[in-house]
Amino acid sequence: MIPRNLAVSVAILCSLTFGMSLYLWELRRHEAVNTQREPLPQHVAAPASGQTESITLMVAHDDGGELHPQSLTLPVSNNQQERMQEILRQLLMIYQAKGSPHPLTTNAEVRNVYLTQSGIAVMDVNGAFADGQTSGILAEELTLVSFVQTMTLNAPNITAVKFLVDGKERETLAGHVDISGALSTADASQLANQLTAR
Amino acid sequence: MPWNSRTSATKLSLIALVAAGWLCGVAIPQETPPTAAVPQAAQPAPPTPPAATIMIDAAHGGTETGAVLAPDNLEKDVTLAFARRLRQDLLVRGFQVRLVRDGDMLLSTDQRATIANTTRPALYVCVHMTSQGSGLRVYSATLVASGENSGPFADWRTAQEVSIARSRSLQQQLTETIRKTRFPLKSLTVPLRPLNNIAVPALAVEIAPANGQVSQLASADYQSMVSAVLANAISTVRERLESGR
Repeated sequence: MIPRNLAVSVAILCSLTFGMSLYLWELRRHEAVNTQREPLPQHVAAPASGQTESITLMVAHDDGGELHPQSLTLPVSNNQQERMQEILRQLLMIYQAKGSPHPLTTNAEVRNVYLTQSGIAVMDVNGAFADGQTSGILAEELTLVSFVQTMTLNAPNITAVKFLVDGKERETLAGHVDISGALSTADASQLANQLTAR
Repeated sequence: MPWNSRTSATKLSLIALVAAGWLCGVAIPQETPPTAAVPQAAQPAPPTPPAATIMIDAAHGGTETGAVLAPDNLEKDVTLAFARRLRQDLLVRGFQVRLVRDGDMLLSTDQRATIANTTRPALYVCVHMTSQGSGLRVYSATLVASGENSGPFADWRTAQEVSIARSRSLQQQLTETIRKTRFPLKSLTVPLRPLNNIAVPALAVEIAPANGQVSQLASADYQSMVSAVLANAISTVRERLESGR
């Protein structure tokens, strides 16, 4: 006959073992889920070394409501999509810097740029980009044309640009300028001509 | 006598010629005493064309406030105040005027375009306000003129195509007139709704303060001045608006 105190001890030990096993199984499952998750999109840093390229940015200036072309030399990726992201993020950095000629909120991000075979480029920005934009026809038009014309100048094969906000279509950028459709680069060039300082 | 017979023949020929001329209604030059003007029956005056209708659309409204110009100064309120002022200035100048909204109500861009397309004014003017920059901006839609997009089943997204040539022409005339006043002005095209959806001549104006002070946008003096500038400019194209050219 097994003593009662021994039976109770064995029962407690067994339940503890079972509980620890469950806890360990849960920890392993949690780790497996985390390793499967895609890494969050991060800013693609321009390569510190490698081939440099002279690019042209169309920079908006609120005083005067004009666009000014600005050339700079930048180390860029050979991949067309990454190259365009680097160029547009460079433009965004100008707008986010202190004393910017066309301030955009520091939380604004160009999440992704997709280049399709048909020549349509899709520029996906985050919600802060649109929500932090100064509301007004000219202010929004300057932002839109600045980014689209910069793409046009640095990738002539692009025929139209579609804006997405957080991956979704939106009717206006900040209450005025229509971004529900794709803006053709021909129209963007026409707008840029009107806005370019002479 | 041969001489006498010849003279008689000449006289007869002359008399015959005068008689023939009189019969045929040919005017024989002769000195006639000046006669008093014969009173003529009063001709009916040519019918005056009906006054052109201008439709003013105060942008935003209701929960859609537009830009927050100042904590107590929303774009939707300032545009409405300006639209009412411009209506008065245009009425004084003999135009018929319709406001798309005459209160704080929410209207979608599609609803605004529907109102304009149903009323078919001679000119649709959408009013916006901004704190950025200075002066006045006049916009037309970013579309290419096309006669194909017309008829009962016109493409809603590009309904303005049939009128874009007139819109641009009116934009040019208005801006030329406003430039003469030395008021700061820009004339541009823009992808802006509901301009693209309106089938009659359509323009948008964006008003910024002249002195950089946002509070100026709501001031009665500044609004009156800009309204008068705009109303005077629209008056210069009255004939075109009334004739529909």
